[in-house]
Amino acid sequence: MSRLALFLLITWILTLLFSSPQRSYGALSTAEGDTWFIDMSRFSKSAHGSLSCELCHGDMKENGEAHPDLKDRSKLRKNAVDLYDYSKCKVCHRQSYARYLLGEHAKALKKSRFNKEAGKSGIRRAPTCGDCHDAHYERSHLTRVEIGAKMTEVCGLCHLSQKRTYLNDFHGRRAVNLGYEAAAYCSDCHGAHECISLKDKAKALAVCQRCHRKAGLKFTEYVVHPIVKKPKNEEKDKQRRVSIIKTVGSIMAVLVIFVVVFFYGHNFLWLLRELHEKLRKH
Amino acid sequence: MPQTSNAQESYMRFPVIHRFLHLVVMLGFIGLAITGFSLKFSSQGWAKAVVLILGGAGRTASVHKTLAVVTYLCVVAHILWLIYYKAILKGQLTGPQSMFPRVKDLRDLIDHIKYFFGKGPLPKFERFTYLEKFDYLALLFGMNTMGMTGMVLWSPEFFTRVLPGYFINLAQILHVYEAMMAVALKFVVHTFSTHLRPENFPIDKSIFNGRMSKERMIRDHAGEWERIGQTSTTPSSD
Repeated sequence: MSRLALFLLITWILTLLFSSPQRSYGALSTAEGDTWFIDMSRFSKSAHGSLSCELCHGDMKENGEAHPDLKDRSKLRKNAVDLYDYSKCKVCHRQSYARYLLGEHAKALKKSRFNKEAGKSGIRRAPTCGDCHDAHYERSHLTRVEIGAKMTEVCGLCHLSQKRTYLNDFHGRRAVNLGYEAAAYCSDCHGAHECISLKDKAKALAVCQRCHRKAGLKFTEYVVHPIVKKPKNEEKDKQRRVSIIKTVGSIMAVLVIFVVVFFYGHNFLWLLRELHEKLRKH
Repeated sequence: MPQTSNAQESYMRFPVIHRFLHLVVMLGFIGLAITGFSLKFSSQGWAKAVVLILGGAGRTASVHKTLAVVTYLCVVAHILWLIYYKAILKGQLTGPQSMFPRVKDLRDLIDHIKYFFGKGPLPKFERFTYLEKFDYLALLFGMNTMGMTGMVLWSPEFFTRVLPGYFINLAQILHVYEAMMAVALKFVVHTFSTHLRPENFPIDKSIFNGRMSKERMIRDHAGEWERIGQTSTTPSSD
């Protein structure tokens, strides 16, 4: 009897250990594992921690739908960020919101509204506020370097090759890897909320001149993100520059390897010969 | 030791200006390598540690630039000395006693490799072996190309008034690959062939005190040794 009791006790403890509270509320987690629950201890330490829930969620309506929709529970399976009406952010963040509307992300979002494919798995819709900023847990009073490092990760979630090339670039290495305040982070060139493209040279020059005051138009031909695009007819001039850069890099790599292998081999043979001469005498 | 009298009989190999410039270039080169690679391979822990010690990426870059100027001044000083040596001292910049490459260097290289495999004797090297000439010329040439690409990176705004902007990218690539080649050659090949190889281990002091023993002269610079012997009555060309 006591064995059975012990077995039951252990089973019960193990069940407790391996069933996290989130699992018991599985119905309120999305397919991606995001939960609708808010960790209040983390929330209270965040930038929005002093705000009341009602300030953002007061009318309990998201895009015209009433929130506790008892008939349609599938809503809670969806990602909260997809449903929230982020135009509410402009109540406090007026300037940031206005800038967002001017930028590439807002343009792309408008396009994707007509694109029914967007939002389905694998196809990303353009980001709104909540995709880059965590409304509940975002911390305030971070340093420029901390924000910059975080930004590189956040932007890099979608712009993978841009993040990679930026971190290889002069600017990214100093700014992110070495925490050098004077070096440029993503938003220093592309704007924090506008997120503009810098394909246009005149636009790019204005951006470069924020730091490089004496820069001329040719300066903007510097390639920060040497990415080889699949449709090669796009941005032909940049693609030409990228291919020159890659070719020179490959030639130099081959040259270096050739020279190093030759001299290392030469010296290795020399070492063997001299060791042999020394050992033979003893 | 029985060879004491022999060892004491030494020959002046490097005048003081060469020794001094070598020392400055050596220290400058090491400093440039450390600061430059810390900025380039900044994702590595050791790079971050170096930058932290030097006080940030801005300071590291300043140290790098200062060392670059000091090291390049040595090249300028050396070129001025070459002009002085040729014009005033009436020395020869070509010939067996000089750093100028000759066909014999290629023969020496082939003979030396044959010697590695035990297929022949050690070649009779002149005053400077083919490897020493390569070390010297690679550095003299490399310092200028490193200096040129470095200046483009130092003031990209100025140089892109004439050059297209992607030349900054090219300058970065050339600068870093050449740096890697230089470090791979100087830190390993040069250090091994002058100091660490069993015959010279642990250090060949001749570049620091200018002297080379008779014993080593006979072995490592047999060609020069014979030449000095033959022309001992005539004044040396340097």
